[in-house]
Amino acid sequence: MRFRIFAFVLMAMAIACVPGSKGDVKFQQYYTEGEMLYQQHCANCHQVDGTGLGKLFPPLAKSDYMDNNREAVICLIRYGIKGEVLVNGVSYNQEMKGIPTLTDLEIAEIASYIYNSWGNEEEWVDVLQATKILAACKINE
Amino acid sequence: MITRLMKAMKLHWVKVLFLVLICFTACDKEKALPVFGEREVVGTDTVYHTIAPFQFVDQDSTVVTNATFKDQIYVTDFFFTSCRTICPIMKTQMLRVYQATAEMPDVKILSHTIDPEYDTVALLHDFAKRLGVTDNRWRFVTGVKDSIYKIAQTSYFATAMEDKSEPDGFIHSGAFLLIDKKQRIRGKYDGTKEEEVNKLIADIKKLRREDAL
Repeated sequence: MRFRIFAFVLMAMAIACVPGSKGDVKFQQYYTEGEMLYQQHCANCHQVDGTGLGKLFPPLAKSDYMDNNREAVICLIRYGIKGEVLVNGVSYNQEMKGIPTLTDLEIAEIASYIYNSWGNEEEWVDVLQATKILAACKINE
Repeated sequence: MITRLMKAMKLHWVKVLFLVLICFTACDKEKALPVFGEREVVGTDTVYHTIAPFQFVDQDSTVVTNATFKDQIYVTDFFFTSCRTICPIMKTQMLRVYQATAEMPDVKILSHTIDPEYDTVALLHDFAKRLGVTDNRWRFVTGVKDSIYKIAQTSYFATAMEDKSEPDGFIHSGAFLLIDKKQRIRGKYDGTKEEEVNKLIADIKKLRREDAL
């Protein structure tokens, strides 16, 4: 009996610790924090369900732009974006101001959340990746 | 004995049914929506607070005045296109009002920009189109800044002013106001809350029933 419990705990730990897996406790933490930050900073325009609003604010749920521009998405959370953007064949042209107060970790959390919500199933982003990407952002002012 | 009792009860039932019917027609009269603002009694008439004269220009360069809303019910709010805080939520909710009143030709929407320097007619035209507004039932107006702030504060009792310390440079309330055909305020709702906007949509229907009487 004792052995069984021990084996179970060991198995659970093994599953939880596979790096990058969605069962990862760390991913869950990122996701939960990301959800809170998303609702605070992004949901006003992009909506709680990620569907966007008309042709004003593009959707994040099932967005080809997000699939193809992972680095740019992480950069624009901090630095914003101006000019025309094509998302799923629709043109959007409303300036989004960046949120310079967000830390690398917070941006990683938001990215992990939006890339794994509303039917999106992409790799999540940890803080090391985010820092690397953010350091290489092309800032167009 | 028993049959007599049954007969009496039947008669009783008819009475009850009759009373219920009367209640449905008379007792259930709807409570009218309140009228906001100060009122004055002149002789035997009560004079209510009404919307002061205004003149703005909408997304199609059409001049919009009080006359535009003659014999019309309208919902109004204050916003600006570059606002990231409450305006997008307000526009999401106002879009619900726009869709819910699609079949009501006497119901209109009037959105004032409080940033007329940035929100030009051309910009408002683009904004409306992108939001999915296809007709002039929903007008987005711009005009002289002070006139917009003044009408917000004195006619609609809504807050709208510049404030450089705010993240987007303005403070304004997220209120939606319901104006009746006599240009009186009949309801004030938080345009950022879905339940409040549900109530607004219900009150529009109520107001139309009142007009039909």
